[in-house]
Amino acid sequence: MTRLAGGLIDRTQTVTFTFDGTRYQGHPGDTLASALLAAGVRLMGRSFKYHRPRGVFAAGSEEPNALVELGSGARREPNSRATTVELHEGLEAHSQNRWPALSFDALAVNDLLAPFFTAGFYYKTFMWPKAFWERLYEPLIRRAAGLGRLSMQADPDAYDKGFLHCDLLVVGAGPSGLAAALTAARAGARVILAEEDFRLGGRLLAETGTLDGAPAVDWVTALEAAFADLPNLRVMRRTTVFGVFDHGVYGAVERVADHRRDPGEGVRQTLWRITARRAVLAAGATERPIAFADNDRPGIMLAGAMRAYANRWAACPVDTIAVYTNNDDGHRTAVDLLARGVQVAAVIDARAEATARGDYRVIAGGAVTGTRGRLGLSAIEVRSDRGAERIACGALGVSGGWNPNLHLASHHRGRPLWDETLQTFLPDAHGPAGLVPAGAAAGAFSTAAALSSGAAAATRALGEIGIDAAPCALPEAEAAPWRIAPVFHVPGRKRAWVDFQNEVTVKDIALAHAENMRPVEHLKRYTTLGMGTDQGKTANVTGLAVMAELTGRTIGETGTTVFRPPYTPVSLSVLGGGDTGPYFRPRRLPPTHRWAEAQGAVFVEVGQWMRAQYFPRPGETHWRQAVDREAAAVRSAVGLCDVTTLGKIDVQGADAAAFLDRLYCNTLSTLKVGRVRYGLMLREDGFAYDDGTAARFADDHYVVTTTTANAGLVYRNMEFARQCLWPELDVQIVSTTDAWAQIAVAGPKARTLLARIVDGFDLDNAAFPFMACSALTVCGGLRARLFRISFSGELAYEIAVPARYGQALMERLMARGADLGVTPYGTEALSVLRIEKGHAAGAELNGQTTAAMLGLGRMVSQKKDAIGAVMSRREGLAGDAGRLVGLRPVEDGGAVVGGAHLFAEGAARTLAGSEGWITSSCHSPHVGAAIGLGFLERGDARMGEVVVAANPLEGGSARLRVVPACFVDPEGGRLRD
Amino acid sequence: MLIPHPLLGPRDAQEFVCLGDARLIERPDPAAADAEAAFCDYVFLRDNPAGVHRELWFHEHGDRSWLVVTRDTVTHAVLGAELARDVALARVGRAP
Amino acid sequence: MTDLIPVTALGDATPRRFSAGALTLCENDAVAFASLALRRGAGRPAPFGLALPGPGGWAAGQGVAALWVAPDQWLVEAEGRAATDFAATLGQAAPGCSVTEQTDGWVAFEIVSQAGPQPLEALLEKLANVDPAGFAPGRATRTALHHMSCYLVRRAAGHVAVLGARSSAGSLWHALATAARRLHANAA
Repeated sequence: MTRLAGGLIDRTQTVTFTFDGTRYQGHPGDTLASALLAAGVRLMGRSFKYHRPRGVFAAGSEEPNALVELGSGARREPNSRATTVELHEGLEAHSQNRWPALSFDALAVNDLLAPFFTAGFYYKTFMWPKAFWERLYEPLIRRAAGLGRLSMQADPDAYDKGFLHCDLLVVGAGPSGLAAALTAARAGARVILAEEDFRLGGRLLAETGTLDGAPAVDWVTALEAAFADLPNLRVMRRTTVFGVFDHGVYGAVERVADHRRDPGEGVRQTLWRITARRAVLAAGATERPIAFADNDRPGIMLAGAMRAYANRWAACPVDTIAVYTNNDDGHRTAVDLLARGVQVAAVIDARAEATARGDYRVIAGGAVTGTRGRLGLSAIEVRSDRGAERIACGALGVSGGWNPNLHLASHHRGRPLWDETLQTFLPDAHGPAGLVPAGAAAGAFSTAAALSSGAAAATRALGEIGIDAAPCALPEAEAAPWRIAPVFHVPGRKRAWVDFQNEVTVKDIALAHAENMRPVEHLKRYTTLGMGTDQGKTANVTGLAVMAELTGRTIGETGTTVFRPPYTPVSLSVLGGGDTGPYFRPRRLPPTHRWAEAQGAVFVEVGQWMRAQYFPRPGETHWRQAVDREAAAVRSAVGLCDVTTLGKIDVQGADAAAFLDRLYCNTLSTLKVGRVRYGLMLREDGFAYDDGTAARFADDHYVVTTTTANAGLVYRNMEFARQCLWPELDVQIVSTTDAWAQIAVAGPKARTLLARIVDGFDLDNAAFPFMACSALTVCGGLRARLFRISFSGELAYEIAVPARYGQALMERLMARGADLGVTPYGTEALSVLRIEKGHAAGAELNGQTTAAMLGLGRMVSQKKDAIGAVMSRREGLAGDAGRLVGLRPVEDGGAVVGGAHLFAEGAARTLAGSEGWITSSCHSPHVGAAIGLGFLERGDARMGEVVVAANPLEGGSARLRVVPACFVDPEGGRLRD
Repeated sequence: MLIPHPLLGPRDAQEFVCLGDARLIERPDPAAADAEAAFCDYVFLRDNPAGVHRELWFHEHGDRSWLVVTRDTVTHAVLGAELARDVALARVGRAP
Repeated sequence: MTDLIPVTALGDATPRRFSAGALTLCENDAVAFASLALRRGAGRPAPFGLALPGPGGWAAGQGVAALWVAPDQWLVEAEGRAATDFAATLGQAAPGCSVTEQTDGWVAFEIVSQAGPQPLEALLEKLANVDPAGFAPGRATRTALHHMSCYLVRRAAGHVAVLGARSSAGSLWHALATAARRLHANAA
């Protein structure tokens, strides 16, 4: 018998799929597991360690065994649970962890070596020799034991993320979730109902119990129609709520297109961040097995799963089944399968008083002690008061009771409580705030109890946020009491599996006990119980019960390990949210970016910015050629560089000057209107932090600049100073970095070039001297700002215009300066020019250096307070004798390597003997040799001395001469002319 | 996490940057005789209580307000939030 | 008038436009922006007769509008005046205030729905953590959108403006257009 009558599948259509290359057919509504079972396939995989044949064990996301690879090529996805894969046309699935074939797996030899593979075998076996671990043992183990294979190719599908808000989130759409959603939606609350299955109903779809005397699915269908008319209710199928985060934030993954072969232009999965004022956890319960010898053969499955396959999917792989149970629920499987024409060989009930609910044999007080069948179950061995017997059957349904799916309720230090009557853990009252468990997740196991519990939970949750929910009419349903005997395993000599995926047996738990790994957290890590992709959903409680029995404590005293997100595996692709490649993070482009592209510029990432690094010309075969040419053009003619990326902050207010005096270690309040001054910021601990310029446009208006890297941080710190430190000051700040395109015009011909674009503005040295600034117009009336500042040491200006005109201004300057030899230069030449001039940049302002070390010690005003002023005077900092120096190779053609440590000649090259380090280096076209900047102990007093730069990382050392940290125009005549 | 912004209502913590101990508002008097020692405490020492803590949060992707958020570091419960500017003004005896 | 020819924030000669389903996304390069901040203790002005909105608000007047951006600070918009020195005009209309030019600090993308608020809200929930219940017409909020700080302005039930840093206009456009396209593809 394979496909039965009935079921919730659409028999009017067939769906063709393949498993290990064989073609099968199923129907819409099938899962991969149900379609394979209906096709008589019991063997679906090999186990992780012992390569034991395994079949489907469960009917939902708790499945430990039937893990398959889906798809092929870049879309190959390992470790997919066949039980949750929605069947679709063209689905391609492969079994995992077997070679050469699923039915003949050479590594099944591992099973014979099982005595060596007990708990803790890694720790005991592969300790010696230590070096063998990485080279030999680990690769071997990874090949032999494992799950599916990654495709090793980029994921071709699109993923995205999204944000939802609601009054009530209902997790799970079984009877309790549906009742909760209905109650809340009718009350007018904004409700989200999230269901991991592709169909609403939960266990209602798997059971034959009626609602109001009619099939339960009729009620679900009617409810779905009613839901469509409730705009305040959002039903999300194929959506797993995987975690609870602080303050009512829930993480969920919606599998938007996993059930399609190709998502096309759409997204495959969406990561939702749901902000819910309250939530109802209606996640149902998961059945647990009873451990007995050889209980892992294909065909042995949870009794509730067997019932679900028969009732919902009309699938049963064999003609004859048996059931082993310790509770009433196992009998439902017998009754339901019998009704569908499957033969029931026996129901073995652990309880001595058990009786049949129908026309089948009951072995009361019995136990299953062993099984037969190499690639699939053929018989079970049963022991009871009447002795031992062998019963032939192709499938065995096992029920050891139900564990509420309380995982989410345990995410915030919630600790499940053991209930002796129900023989299960229940959520405690200290779980996530605002999350109310309901239905089977709260131990309400009958359908009637689940329905009323769901409605009550919604009413309670909404009441807490001031929404009154009137009771809705709920259907009549079965209300059978829950009766169970505490039987968790059958003692015996052979292996009895507790955790199927991670191959943890009762023996392994006993070994952990014997080796004193008794606390649950130790038990888990030592045996790997519950550490597979299924996180032990079917295994954990049984494992705890076995440990409790061994230690003589109760299960409640034994306790549980901590549940953490995610509830079921979440792909990294969807967690990434879909932004990949060039869109992995936002990119900022300066205003002249398009123009620079057209010039063939090579770009470099500077933080989020893409900046032109250099502009190679035809014939230049090495980047140095371009950089040398660009730097030389600035020294001899005029160069242009987009410097928009420097942070610009507009500072206004009656106290703007006083405010800046407290931010910068030097004094800016004495700056005259129309002038610019260099400013140095310290951190409050006294170290140098950031530098820039401050331009004063009015008594109460400054524009300050920051380094590119620190723009955002300095702005944040300014807000801190303004709001938290000196809130009484009248000062307003706003960033204008993006508003203005700023172009450096540098070189001896800079003034000549600028004169050609300004609208009658007097650029004469007397009218507009070094460190002057002014508003003006250019190019026929365009508002602009001009700053006479120089980073290169040449006569230089920076001109700012509204950003939209930046590109046109660059093109205009290039056109008007052609006869002057105007040359665009990138960040590389910019760096060469500033090293030649000895200006500090990021490598010198690295957070470990002081103003004095930078040669700016006298800038730190002693007359006023500023951030960092007090701490800059403390002994350790004030006494730091390191000083910025220039460095040149002693030998012709010698190199200067950044990062190298500096030593006195003949000194031992130990860290303790280091006298400093090289911060920046380059080839200087101006000097015609390599040069560098660095910090050297008492460097200001060691001019002319030869030191050794040692580079232990790359090897080698070089002799360098200490020179002043300025290689060009030390008197500063050029920039003042 | 949600931060109850005093002007804008509950906002997701992803919009904020957390700086830590709100005592950073209490910058020492630089003119005091023991200024260096006081600054040393101010810069390097922070309370890190298990329980109720007052912290500075900056609404970076928002209105750029610095907030003083009172938060239980054990339960993550947020007990309140105020504009740091108001806290700072009260400290110097000025009305907001 | 200058003879320099401006480019849009996306680097083009003309504003970019994109449609997917009921949604149309277009760059608004004509709107001028200026920041308006009150001096300490100053009263609230009413530039051009505009009543400046409170926290989280956006108010439109004749050709100008303003959104609250921080305590005592607003971003004032002037449609069609991007080529002018709007900050100077605003400075005259709001004497005694700190006014800063912001026109090219921001790129404005206008998203309009031809089918009411639903498609717009479906797009918004893929972009930013904003509760549509608190984002009625007349509301404006700043939040992170694909790691970019943006202002979202609900100009009308079926119209939202997204203001982002001009330098990241390309990344922002990609985020908006991609979300709109995927939404349409998944709905199809």
